[in-house]
Amino acid sequence: MTFISIEFLLFFAVIVFAYYSIPHRWRWVLLLAASYSFYASLSGYFVFLLLTSTAFSYVTGILIEKQETKKQKKKVMLVGIGVLLFFLGWFKYFNFVNDSLRAISAYLNWNYTIPYQEIILPIAISFYTFQAVSYLVDIYRGKLKAERHYGYFSIYFAFFPQLVAGPIERAKKLLPQFKVEQTLKYENLSYGMKRIAWGFFKKTLIADRLAPIVASVYDNPDATGSQIVLATILFSVQLYADFSALSDIAIGCARMLGIKLTENFKQPHFATSIGDFWNRWHITFSTWLRDYIFVPLCKGKKKRSEIYVAIIITFLISGIWHGAAWSFVLWGLIHGFYRVFGDHTKQARGKMASFTYLDRNPTFHKWVKIAITFLLVCFSRVFFRSDSVTAAFTNAQLFLTPSSWRPSGIIDAFEIFSLLDLAIFAFFFVVMQLFHHVERKNASTWNWLSQRPVFARYAVYVLIVVSVLVFGATGQGFVYGGF
Amino acid sequence: MGRLFIKLTIIITVALLLFLPINNFVKQSRSYNINDDILAFKKDPHPVDIINLGASHSMYGYYFKPTGLSHLDLALPAQTIQYDFKLLKEYGEHLKPNGVVIVSISQLTFINSKDMDVGRYYEILDHSEIEPFSLVDYYRYLYFPGTNSEIFTSALSSKWKGFKWTSHQSWANDGKNYAERKTEFIEEQYREASANDEIEQNVQQFQELLEYCKDQGYQVVLTMEPVHQTYLDHFDEQAMERLVFQYLDPLNLDVPFLNYMDDPRFSDNQDYFIDSDHLNSEGRKKYSWIVYEELKSMGYFE
Repeated sequence: MTFISIEFLLFFAVIVFAYYSIPHRWRWVLLLAASYSFYASLSGYFVFLLLTSTAFSYVTGILIEKQETKKQKKKVMLVGIGVLLFFLGWFKYFNFVNDSLRAISAYLNWNYTIPYQEIILPIAISFYTFQAVSYLVDIYRGKLKAERHYGYFSIYFAFFPQLVAGPIERAKKLLPQFKVEQTLKYENLSYGMKRIAWGFFKKTLIADRLAPIVASVYDNPDATGSQIVLATILFSVQLYADFSALSDIAIGCARMLGIKLTENFKQPHFATSIGDFWNRWHITFSTWLRDYIFVPLCKGKKKRSEIYVAIIITFLISGIWHGAAWSFVLWGLIHGFYRVFGDHTKQARGKMASFTYLDRNPTFHKWVKIAITFLLVCFSRVFFRSDSVTAAFTNAQLFLTPSSWRPSGIIDAFEIFSLLDLAIFAFFFVVMQLFHHVERKNASTWNWLSQRPVFARYAVYVLIVVSVLVFGATGQGFVYGGF
Repeated sequence: MGRLFIKLTIIITVALLLFLPINNFVKQSRSYNINDDILAFKKDPHPVDIINLGASHSMYGYYFKPTGLSHLDLALPAQTIQYDFKLLKEYGEHLKPNGVVIVSISQLTFINSKDMDVGRYYEILDHSEIEPFSLVDYYRYLYFPGTNSEIFTSALSSKWKGFKWTSHQSWANDGKNYAERKTEFIEEQYREASANDEIEQNVQQFQELLEYCKDQGYQVVLTMEPVHQTYLDHFDEQAMERLVFQYLDPLNLDVPFLNYMDDPRFSDNQDYFIDSDHLNSEGRKKYSWIVYEELKSMGYFE
């Protein structure tokens, strides 16, 4: 059962109905049963790993709190994090490390005998492990009290709307919401449904329609440079639509249950710098990295070079978190380099903007920055999308070749679509951009829409429903569901 | 809550009113009714002289009406051997005692393993034969095919045949563009099938199909349908050896194999083709006569 299915919608409708029909004191049982059933339907017997990690984190949290000295607390926390990371490492990184060691041994002519292991990656392990780590660290830092109610704690760990791919929530924000009695509110149901519908729109009409087109280029060893350029730009659109749709559905579902999750995206492709991009893309992950990796690494560091090292390490961890492959490590490294370079050249770039009179036209200057940032992000995504490091370097070389950017070549490259598919995609892409445009002018498109005449409002709702019904492509998993 | 209920009712009602004509359009399209002939046969079964299996080359390849033979076409586009076998088990009983089963071999035969659209089998096969079978998908396919974007897009493509890039038209650049795209598709399938060890499974399934025919007393003939020269340029002897014959030859089959792939009566004549690898109605008639006469000369149908 995936988010994009009739089965999930029926399942969720039953849960919402039951949730508001039973007394508050029993709701945690319902949410827990729903969460574990949902996870079991996705990941089968790995539900036992989830149960183990939950129990372990629960006990460790209490143990940290019970320690008397800061030093003791730290020890328990580190052991707890170590065990959680061991689970993650075993399932996600064993073969990555194993293959890398084998390759190094072969290069050095050493005998390496550990064979490749068939290890299946449990769904959502990266997400719930990070939530667990933040929980333990927050208790150690004294920002949070260890949760004593095992039921509520388990829901925090496995809350089904955000279990698969976030948003990565902090216990301090989520746990109290489970404990408060949520009343049935029209606003919550209405807003939740709209967010879910919008998630379906982005996933089925943008992301899943683009996925086979992008794959047809990236899987083709004879793809031209212009095709790689176009496919990479389309992949950026696909990835955003795919992942933000997942967050929309998660936020919408949670809101229908009265729970407010953290926003995970703020139109990242309109960022004016790489730093700004990371404030808009996968926000809960970026803030997690900031609070639990970058800030501790910077503690006591004053030199700029030391801060830069901390930035690079943080982005390397970001890359490794995404996937157990060297191409993801390189992707993280590229973003680390972008950040360091951006910071180091900030003044020089300011002077250049002044020298070229670019800063005299702020709107144009802003759009130039948006375009440059987007292209830098796209370049990094060549590494994100390629199947291997070798393929990534070949594709990156094609991406950087000036002749790949010839307008006629790019126009020809559009023939990777059938004309009909291109027309359909273009229409829905424009709708998505209109939505974003309104959002940039107003705080929320939904609020803006609610102030329009009834006819216009309903036309939009009906357009979304009919479009998803008729044109919605399904069958592709979520890209971030695999992390 | 009443307000929300009324709102939802209005939205769903309007959406349904808009959806119904779309659904109707899809239901009447050729792509949705691609299994019509088999469905008609299921409703009115009768003994047949010849059954052909295979994918689109076979589906567009045979028309035996002028020869006087009764014929059941079980070929469907991109059909896997797995479903060839299932269909034959379902409908083989209607083959006359001296009838012939044509098993069409194409470049995709051993490398095609994903039957993307199982919906087309819902009405012509038993549910237990369909993998994966889902009751939701079943009812959705039967009553709301408009919700299947692939069938809808396909129906729309059939309706607007000319709405294609000039270079995507079947005979643009003398059919070379089409042949190139098809080659890329087949090479991709080949890479995938090799990586997933699917070729061996298909070969095994193919052998099982032939053994089943032998057990049932069916006379089997393997065929390869004619293609145009532009297509042959991409699938020369070396390519066919890699895609087909390296798997077919070691089986040492004792069944006739009629290979018309590079038959000059067709390969040099564009008038017989829809595109460079599918026969049109004229080509189909001519080719079926040739096959019929060849089979007669071999002693079949006597």
